[in-house]
Order: sequence, then structure tokens, then C-alpha cells
Amino acid sequence: MSASAMAALPRAGGLGPRLGLAILGLALLVALLGPGLVPHDPLVQELAARNAPPDALHWLGRDHLGRDVLARLAAGTRISLAVALGATLLAVGLGAGLGVVAEALGRGPSFLVFGAFDMVRAMPSILLALTLMVALGIGTWPLILALGIAFAPHMALVARAAWRRENAAGYVAAARVMGAAPLATTWRHVLPNIAGALVTQAAIIMPRAITTESVLSFFGLGVSPETPSWGRMIAGATRFAESAPHAVLAPVAALCLVTLGFALAGDRLRLALDPLRERGR
Amino acid sequence: MNHAFLHNATQAGLALARQALLLAGIAIAVFLLIRIVPGDVVDAMALEGSLDEEAIADLRADLGLDAGALTQFRIWAGRALGGDFGMSLRFDRPVSELILAALPTTLILAVLALSAGLALGVGLATAAVLWPRSPLPALVEALNLWSIALPTFCVGLASILLFSVGLGWLPVIGQWLSPVLILAIDNAGQVVKPLHEDLKEAATASHIRTARAKGLSPARIVLRHLLPNALTTVVALGGMILAGMIGGALTMEVLFGLPGLGTLAFQAISGRDYPVIQAVVLVFAAGVVVVNGLADLAQRALDPRLRR
Repeated sequence: MSASAMAALPRAGGLGPRLGLAILGLALLVALLGPGLVPHDPLVQELAARNAPPDALHWLGRDHLGRDVLARLAAGTRISLAVALGATLLAVGLGAGLGVVAEALGRGPSFLVFGAFDMVRAMPSILLALTLMVALGIGTWPLILALGIAFAPHMALVARAAWRRENAAGYVAAARVMGAAPLATTWRHVLPNIAGALVTQAAIIMPRAITTESVLSFFGLGVSPETPSWGRMIAGATRFAESAPHAVLAPVAALCLVTLGFALAGDRLRLALDPLRERGR
Repeated sequence: MNHAFLHNATQAGLALARQALLLAGIAIAVFLLIRIVPGDVVDAMALEGSLDEEAIADLRADLGLDAGALTQFRIWAGRALGGDFGMSLRFDRPVSELILAALPTTLILAVLALSAGLALGVGLATAAVLWPRSPLPALVEALNLWSIALPTFCVGLASILLFSVGLGWLPVIGQWLSPVLILAIDNAGQVVKPLHEDLKEAATASHIRTARAKGLSPARIVLRHLLPNALTTVVALGGMILAGMIGGALTMEVLFGLPGLGTLAFQAISGRDYPVIQAVVLVFAAGVVVVNGLADLAQRALDPRLRR
């Protein structure tokens, strides 16, 4: 790749964003169609064919329990993306919701809520999610809850900054003078205006949630062991990396590709989703 | 002067008190969180071995697990303040001993990765400002994209597959080269872009124009006039990165089998070893709080504008 092409990567409109959107589109398609794409069952074990290399019938080979890697990859895409999406939505609701409501209600509630968020933020999100998973137990819903809580404070800070900026604007003062209640003003007038900032932050959180899900599953704390997520696939296959590298490579490549897709598509995604940002600059 | 000093000291004191309060809050939260867990170490042991009802009750009483949560917290917090985190439920050794044994590995990993990453990041950003027409600015973008796009977990696994399994150049377990390099490149990628932007903006300042007009060489301008002013940015980024790297270091330790706090946490989590989990989480949280506090103080010391 030439130097000028590399410089063009992160900008919207170049080759990079298109590549990123294509990767994300493909991942989304696989997640939606899921197991239907592959004529094998992701859960069926065939112990005689443990760690079998790729062949004409099983394009990506078998894992350490003789399960079809491609089928697990397709099923895992759905689970990994669904968990990350659920966690991101929870982080938006919890972080932005609590943050904006507390801020709208005044100094006392705001101090309490953001004090709690500061406490959560002092812990690295991976460590916090680990602790939460220890407390909640493994499973898909606890995982979404733990990830959502871990990423909520970042969302809250962005929401607060955006809310304060908007709150200083004339239209909020006008609504206040006309006698609108603070929460109603926030809901009806401020929220639509800060939605762009929230979406931008959500696009940053989503790939991090995907990675953290994989790390947690790798640590044995994510989704339940039989559920095929990328992290569970990596965790199971890493011990047999010497004899069956294909079973590790497939989920690792999927994980790298999707985070790369988010990074490449980043600017374009923001431009497309933010209603207020000027286009064509 | 004296008044200003008093003001600064008060500000710094307030900042420190806030950090201490945060840490206390985290301690309570971590303790309560771990207490919610359904099933404790005795349950886990009973599943594995053949403990009868009486032995289970005895073990609980021995480990102090039969007391109420509040009593347990009071006892635990009192001792923790004195550096005593109790006994590990699994290893039959004091938790503080396990932590102290694991701490050097984690510290060395973090310090190596941070210094190598800062050196690479600062060096590349400076060189890119000195030679703006070279491919270096593009390299800044590429390195930044690398650290955004590729989580260290991915890179670590890919490097195991490529260099250890595929090419056989490096052992999988117990080597330091891969984890340090992976974390350092990730850190450099986070530092290099904001620093490059900072230096480019600073290069348009009037005192730089004066320096250029009086004939100073570009290298001298960068070293004497630009870099010292960018030091606050470096310190701020360094603090942020060190705090952010903890998650990466934890994963790298487990991936590459280094006996640090991350590996200890990993073992403690799978063994339901609460005292160890609590202590490791607290040590990490304390580390983040201390690093943030130090970065804040260093920034105040370096940048007079922040003292007001």
C-alpha cells in the first residue's frame, strides 16, 4: 500500500471507509442469516474428526471436539454481534439516560450519579466486566448487563458534555421561559439534538464491546460454554493451536476484521448517522 | 507568591482527597459485588471433592464465611488498610504474598511497554513534523489506525499463530518480546496522532516563527522550542495510556503465560478465590487512581496555566 493511500484511509469517501462498510455489511448479513448459511450443525460433535484440517465438505475444518468451524463461525457472528449491540444499547440507555436525567434534575442528583460513574470509570472496563461477571455468573444476559454497565460511564460523560452545550442554547432558555418542565424540555428538545453525539460514541463502544466479549469468554466468563461466540471458539481452540491452527485462525480473523471494519468505516458511519453534522466538507 | 502556593496546595489536596474517596467507594463496591455471587469457594470445593455437611460448616466457620456481610466487610476493610488481605482460599498463602510475588511481572511489563511506546510515539511524531513531505505523516495515520482497529487481544493471538505456531520463531509461553512489543505499538499508536497534531499546531506559533527567522535549524527548533511545550500532552497521554493498558496487560499475561497480576486474577476467578479477586481488583483500581493523581500533579507542575 502506497503512502498516499494509507493517508487517505481514515478520511470519509476514500477507499478505506468503503472497505470498512463492506466488512460490516458482510458481518451483518452473516449475523442475520446465521446458521442457515452453512449446512452443518454448529453444536454437533464428531469426535473421530477432531481437529481435522479444512476439506471440500468442511471448508474451515473441525475444532477440538470435531464441530464444523464454519458453522460455528456463522453462529458465533450472530451471538457476538448481538451481545455487543445489546451491551451498547444498554450503555446508551443507562449512561446517557441516567446522566441526562440527573443533569436535568439539578446539582444534587448530578453529583451522586456522576460520582458513581467516576467510581466505575476508575476501573478499567475489562476488569470491571470481569468482576461483574464473577458476581452475575456466566451467560448471555449477564454478559450483556456486565458490558453495558462497564461502558455506561463513557456514554454518560459524552451525554453530559452534549447536554450542557445544548442547555446553554437559546431554544432551551425559550422553552424554560415558556414554563416547560426541565425533564420535558430535555426529552422533547434537547435529546434529538444530542442524538448525533450519542450515536458517534455508540459506534466507538460497539467494537470495544465485541472485543471485551471475546476476552471475557476467553477467560471463561462470557457466554455459557456450549454457546458458540467468537471468544468461546478462541478459548476452546487456543489449547490446540499447534495441531489445529485453523480452528483459532477463523474466529481471530473474524474478530480482527470486524474491529478493523468499525475503525475504517468510523468517519463515514458518523457522517451517515449524525443528523446535525455538515456533509460534504 | 505565598498565597498562590497555598492555593495550589489546597487544589492538589482536594484532588488527592477526591481520588482517595473514589478508592474507598471502589473497595465497598468490589466487596459487595463479590458477595452477591451465588455459591462460594466451599461450594466449589464440595463439588470437586467429597465434603460432608459437617465439614462444609466447619470450613465456612474457619474461613469466616458464616458471618454477616457487614461484619465481614468491617473485618476485611480494617485489615486491608494495614496491607493484610487475608488468606487465599485456594493456595493456603497470604493474599499479600501472592500479590507481591505477581506485582513485579506486571510492573515490568507495563513500564517496558509504556516507555517503548512513548519513545516510538514521540520519536515518530517529532520526525513527522521535521519532515512533513516524507511518508512519515502517513505512517502516523497508519500507526494510529492500527491501534484503533486492532485490539491487543487480536494481535496477541495472531502473533502466536504466526510466529509461534506457524514459523516456530518464538515459544508461546513465557516470552516477553511479543507482549511488550504488542502493547508498545498499541500505546505508540494512541500517543502519536494527538501529539503530531499538537506539534503541528504549536509550529505555527509566533515564537517559532521568530526562531525560524533568526536562523535556528529545524532540528533545534523542534528540540528546544516545540518538544518542551508538548511535554504536558505527553504526560496527559501517558497517564491515560497507563490506565488504559491495564486491560491489555492482563490479557497479554494470560495469553503468553507471564506470572503477573493478570494471570493471578485469571486463576482466582476460575477458583472462586474471593480474597484474591478483591485484592487484585483493588490493587489495579489503586494503580489507576494513583497514576491519574500523579499525571494530574505532573501536569500542574509543568503547565502554569493549569494552576489557576
